[in-house]
Amino acid sequence: MSIVAAKPLEAGVPAERILAQLAERFAAVRDGRDRWGLTVTVARERLRDCLQWLRDEPSLHCDTLLDVAGVDYLAFPGHRGPRFAVVYLLKSTRFRHRLAVKVEVDEDDCALPSVHDLWKIADWAERETWDQYGIVFRGHPNLKRLLNHHEFSGHPLRKDYPCQKRQKLSVNDPMVDQLEARLRQRGYEVVERGEVSAGDPLTFREKSP
Amino acid sequence: MKVRNAQGQTIEVLPLNLGPSHPATHGTLRAFVALDGETILASACEMGYLHRGFEKMIEQGTYQQVLPFTDRLNYCSAMMNNIGFCKAVERMFGVELPERCVTVRVVLCELSRIIDHLVCVCANLVDLGALTNFWYFFNVREEVYRIWEKLCGARLTNTVTRIGGMYRDAYPGFAEDVRAVLPSLERAVGEVRGLVERNRIFVDRTKGICPVSAELAVSYGWTGPCLRASGVDRDLRKDEPYYGYESYDFDTVIGTAGDTYDRIMIRVYEIVESVRIVRQALDRLKPGPINTSDARLHLPARDQVYHDMEALINNFKVVYEGVRAPAGECYDATEAANGELGFWIVSDGGTNPYRIKVRPPCFTQWAAFSEMVEGSMIADAMGTLGSINIIAGELDR
Repeated sequence: MSIVAAKPLEAGVPAERILAQLAERFAAVRDGRDRWGLTVTVARERLRDCLQWLRDEPSLHCDTLLDVAGVDYLAFPGHRGPRFAVVYLLKSTRFRHRLAVKVEVDEDDCALPSVHDLWKIADWAERETWDQYGIVFRGHPNLKRLLNHHEFSGHPLRKDYPCQKRQKLSVNDPMVDQLEARLRQRGYEVVERGEVSAGDPLTFREKSP
Repeated sequence: MKVRNAQGQTIEVLPLNLGPSHPATHGTLRAFVALDGETILASACEMGYLHRGFEKMIEQGTYQQVLPFTDRLNYCSAMMNNIGFCKAVERMFGVELPERCVTVRVVLCELSRIIDHLVCVCANLVDLGALTNFWYFFNVREEVYRIWEKLCGARLTNTVTRIGGMYRDAYPGFAEDVRAVLPSLERAVGEVRGLVERNRIFVDRTKGICPVSAELAVSYGWTGPCLRASGVDRDLRKDEPYYGYESYDFDTVIGTAGDTYDRIMIRVYEIVESVRIVRQALDRLKPGPINTSDARLHLPARDQVYHDMEALINNFKVVYEGVRAPAGECYDATEAANGELGFWIVSDGGTNPYRIKVRPPCFTQWAAFSEMVEGSMIADAMGTLGSINIIAGELDR
């Protein structure tokens, strides 16, 4: 371990140049609401290619997926177009540029291709977005809720989910399926499942009228 | 449960829940592991036990009303979350802060980073059985908390920052109080280093344990001390300096092995670097206005409100309606104690934030936990958990 003067980041590629390249390759356009640097919108069909190119292109080297953020535009004043959007926030460990890639998602066809194989963090980030917005990530190996309880119904960050709504949730997720999947991934074959108790269901005392 | 390994041997496996309620998990986290003796064959993690619906709640109020909630993200260094959020909103407005405000924020940021690292390191050492360090660090942490008390009355969740400035100016004698704490901090760091740095038991328990390569750390989106432990020298204070960090003289601490030892010791050394920054910031602390004069953000002075019609209206507007961030979408981040704390803000031009996505640094670290501990011993998993500093408040939001 060492205490050093940090190696400074290399100068980033200007937003206009990134935009021009993305426009040429993936027909990306600058997002109309961009107020911070560069947010581009790409079509769903080009999303995976676009993200992979941003990661692998040596002159951009956007190797860090910071976050995946969903947005529901249902209540946005004057909004036209698809109801949802998902934003992928990227940065580089080599260059001083950042950008956000936005993809619009229709309510009727609420699905996106998964990028869990491009970045390991995408696995959980996509699970969170599914949990909060109900956007399906096709090809995700384990698209389960992340923040909310597995018995929870609905997607709380949708604008039409009532803030005060309450739900009864009782039994813990035993997670045996996840553990077995993980064992198989690591080269073990499960020959006997055995008994795993999830504990007793919580008992609720009903309020007397 | 029985499994067969690649060699065809059948192993009796014990499935065991680590957590969610266990002193060593430092919060409600659950790792479900398959054990072969004391070795973890596979692990699956769960989170959400402290999920309060932070992002839903803050859509219901004004921008100012978000501030007390941000305290509850990383409650070990509440002020840094405040400052990070205010900075993101201020970026949407494009306001410049007065110099005094920026310098006070730097002092508070670095002191918060120090107490966050103190808690992380000493609690981690307790997990490894080294209790003495806990007292050394908590004594000096208490001295910092006394300053917090004097500054704003609160200790843990001190909502001291405001959009466009601070709740109030630092009290007279603030700089002297902070200056008086710094030697105790350095002494405590020296004492703990003396106890653990080359301690045979500590080194055996942490060196080479659960190492994370730079590629893996980047793929998991790690930032902050844990990423630097893996040898990637990225620090937002150096890379994309804000609040004049580029003008402070401090160094980055970088690990080589990315193991538990590096993740712990990096924090210990970073405390010393933060002390250096605090000293320089205190030297620069000059009297002056603490709040921006931008009428969209801040209340006018009292005597103006009583004598000036526009100031009175301004006062009413800011109090009753709140601030109106310009419509648009913006991401901004600060280097918090755990890594990059980011806010993706969507504004529709109204007084309530339309959508705020928090990017908590320890989310990425908890996501990697399973992969880190698989193949290691169960006792090492607990030491590793402490070293990635999972704070359930910001993890589960």
